[in-house]
Amino acid sequence: MSFLLPCPNCGNRSVYEFRFGGEVKQAPAPDATEPVWMDYRFNLVNVAGVQTEWWFHRSGCRQWLKAVRNTVSNEVLESFLPGEKGE
Amino acid sequence: MKFHFQGGPAEAKVGDTIAAALYRNGQRIFTRSFKYHRPRGLLCVSGKCPNCLMNVDGVPNVRSCVTPVQQGMTVKAQNAFPSLETDFLSITQRFDWLMPVGWYYKTFTHPAMWRAAAPTIRKAAGLGEVLPTAPAEYEHAWMHVDTAVIGGGWAGIEAASTAAERGERVAIIDDQVSLGGQLRYRKRAGEIPLEIISRLRNAANVRILEESYCFGLYEGNLLGVLQRNPHQGTAERLVHVRARHTVVATGAYETPLLFPNNDLVGIMLSTGVQRLLRLYGVVAGKRAVIVGAAEAAEEVGADLRGAGVEIVTVASPTQIVAATGSGHVQGIQTHTGNFSCDLIVVCGPRVPDAGLVAQAGGKLEWSDKDGAFLPTLPSAVVSVVGDAAGEMRPNATSPLPSSKRAFVCLCSDVSSTDLCDGIAEGFDQIETLKRYTTATMGPCQGRMCQLSAIGVCSRETGRSIGETGVTTSRPPNPSVTLGALAGPRHHPIRRTPMHYAHESQGASWMDMGDWRRPRYYRKETAAGEKESVSLEYKSVRERVGIIDVSTLGKLDVRGRDAGKLLDMVYTHRFSDLRPGRVRYALMCDEGGVILDDGTISRLEDDRYFVTTTSGNLDFVHQSLEWYLLGTSWEVHICNVTAGYGAMNLAGPKSRDVLRQLTDCDLTSEAFPYMACRKAKVCGIPAILLRIGFVGETGWEIHCPAESAEGLWQALLAAGAEFGIRPFGVEAQRLLRLEKHHVIVGVDTDALTNPYEAGLAWTVKLDKKDFVGKALLSRAAQNQFRERLVGFVLNGIELPQDGAAVVADGQPAGRVTSSRFSPIQKTAIGLAWVKVSKAREGESIQVRVDGKLASARITMRPFYDPEGVRLRQ
Repeated sequence: MSFLLPCPNCGNRSVYEFRFGGEVKQAPAPDATEPVWMDYRFNLVNVAGVQTEWWFHRSGCRQWLKAVRNTVSNEVLESFLPGEKGE
Repeated sequence: MKFHFQGGPAEAKVGDTIAAALYRNGQRIFTRSFKYHRPRGLLCVSGKCPNCLMNVDGVPNVRSCVTPVQQGMTVKAQNAFPSLETDFLSITQRFDWLMPVGWYYKTFTHPAMWRAAAPTIRKAAGLGEVLPTAPAEYEHAWMHVDTAVIGGGWAGIEAASTAAERGERVAIIDDQVSLGGQLRYRKRAGEIPLEIISRLRNAANVRILEESYCFGLYEGNLLGVLQRNPHQGTAERLVHVRARHTVVATGAYETPLLFPNNDLVGIMLSTGVQRLLRLYGVVAGKRAVIVGAAEAAEEVGADLRGAGVEIVTVASPTQIVAATGSGHVQGIQTHTGNFSCDLIVVCGPRVPDAGLVAQAGGKLEWSDKDGAFLPTLPSAVVSVVGDAAGEMRPNATSPLPSSKRAFVCLCSDVSSTDLCDGIAEGFDQIETLKRYTTATMGPCQGRMCQLSAIGVCSRETGRSIGETGVTTSRPPNPSVTLGALAGPRHHPIRRTPMHYAHESQGASWMDMGDWRRPRYYRKETAAGEKESVSLEYKSVRERVGIIDVSTLGKLDVRGRDAGKLLDMVYTHRFSDLRPGRVRYALMCDEGGVILDDGTISRLEDDRYFVTTTSGNLDFVHQSLEWYLLGTSWEVHICNVTAGYGAMNLAGPKSRDVLRQLTDCDLTSEAFPYMACRKAKVCGIPAILLRIGFVGETGWEIHCPAESAEGLWQALLAAGAEFGIRPFGVEAQRLLRLEKHHVIVGVDTDALTNPYEAGLAWTVKLDKKDFVGKALLSRAAQNQFRERLVGFVLNGIELPQDGAAVVADGQPAGRVTSSRFSPIQKTAIGLAWVKVSKAREGESIQVRVDGKLASARITMRPFYDPEGVRLRQ
């Protein structure tokens, strides 16, 4: 794995500069049931294809960002700062 | 130049490679083969075949034909005993019938058999060994370019020159000593474009890496490049080249033909003969037979005749019956007659060297027109030019033998017969055939044998060469030393601001992540660890001690909503913490598992000072930032770890020491336990936290890093009359263990929740929401399985971390920390035990040194259980 990840602040950088933060998921409500929280905590979608995920630019701007990546080809379709897309 | 070969002296001319010098001196056998120990001589002379691997200055498997001689070098043969000329193990070729294809799988059907045979086989077969004299210095470098050109032949020079003229930053990677590729040794290929080369050499935007090879083309156009002898004292440098565009200009290489005895010493590829002649002035033989198609044979024939070699005959590949001779070639049998000779020059098929394109995701497709597998491009950022793209005129393709044995894979002695047997046994796909027979899996990585293996497979299965296909090309190819991959031996070290003070006080160091911390101090005596730690322990318990805790993570969290964020991420409540107070802080994940602990002090209404464990700072900082996202809270988090030095002054006399240096009122009425103050100490602005990890009256003092060493020395001076001692991590661990204080990651693991660890008081389930609340609420109601408890051992021998706890003859838990306690005069520790056993006074057994020792459980701290001392 040695692809380049475009950081919205710093531009194209080696993926080794980043910490992977996992799939972007919606946290359950505080009073959700135990199985729902367990599912959130332990289960991954683990898609073979395009997913949105968290990255932290550890050796750069030290900001969290979101990247849309194809997990099969490692092609990064876009990346943006959280909140930029009105999500 | 002089060097050593097999213990004796050898001579070389300037510019010689090891193999060229040895050949000139009359050496003909360079290696013994992997399995049958057959003598092998030079074949490709370009670093592509396994026939010249030697041990050079302790490094095994060095390609001696491309390694320049250096003054005083020590060169040794491999896999031959007692010598290259006489190798006792060559007897194995008489027993080849005992070792058919796949004999490992067929013979060693039980693990015990393999274990018995492996040492012998490992010694008899295979490659060299690493000697203690092998160099130990390697380094890594990084390079960013617009265009990386792999290969310095005519096509590479042209591509580099075009890119350089466009103003791009260009790197040329060439495995030879100078640019020119085949132009350097093939008269007919043309003239070396010296003018262009010198222009490239002088261009500011061009870097030329000579004697460097690219062993892998990875995702994102990352090239792994190995540079030999980058400078004095360093054996190899691994250059990580990142390119916008990669041009593969690796050319084509010649491969052997298949006929019986095709591996005899004295059978060489035509390009090998030309290299020896043109690059090193070495004539390969006296009487030569040339095997090949007319045009290629004509070219090498002219070169040899010019060097005074007698050309006995020129034979087409289809006419060959067999080469004759034992060891060295003595002649050749053809359909038109038998000829004696001392050199057979083989003009073999030329194969585009396009493995890198395949690594980058391209495909290799057979072209009948070109008689070669040609690359198709994977993407716009990789291109392929010159012979690697199939621009060369291929020589005649190899005719295939019917039944007689010809060596296909020289690396692991796989013959055409072996391949036929493998196919007959059902391994009829090229990828399974490769794995079963190991053909193409040796040091040459299929360069010499892949085309022949595909040819045999195609003929035996009746499929076309295109249908048979090629095996997958994977990096590294060519091979890379592990030393180069592992890189330099130095590690970055973080030193605390007081590092050199510790050094002068005789610190014995321990590594904690990147940090170095004093484990204990040898101080004026030559005392061992045990005595030193005991002295340090006593000074803290009886008088006063001081420890450097600068490695703690420190975060300055400010803003109107800072309390809200801390309430959300930590289990305790911090929004109601009064300014001037400190609280223990525990962080859990959504599953309720303990991640980190530390303290949080509220310095002002909108300013909190957060400490984390040394190793988890980045993680905690990133978590806080992450939970802040998507909120509209006004919080700013600043990592001030390196900005502050920190020390913990602890012991009954600590107040007397600190009082001398500050105006701050230190009485328990004005500055109680778990309070914090901003104050000047020695005139240095500092943050004082009255906390007690070690269980005594004490202050954690944080001050600007540049003043920390001065403050440390001032405290030692002020404490001299009280017998102050600096103490290290080892004494601290013992002191905290007596207090039953948990170290996250040592006493807790990836399943520990606060209830099991006895930290239930830190979890405020009445908060509206916080990380882990849902599952912690469940954990609070559930019967949990284990508890972290203290134990007092009946004896002074210490159990190891992880030692088994036994109760009623059944496994009942494990030890996490244990030390000898001077207070209890026996070994104490923390252990996980079943909930049913987690009661005061319960007796258990602990495994110590292979035996079971009896122990008693205690739920309270071993020392000062009421916590009176740290409040004094």
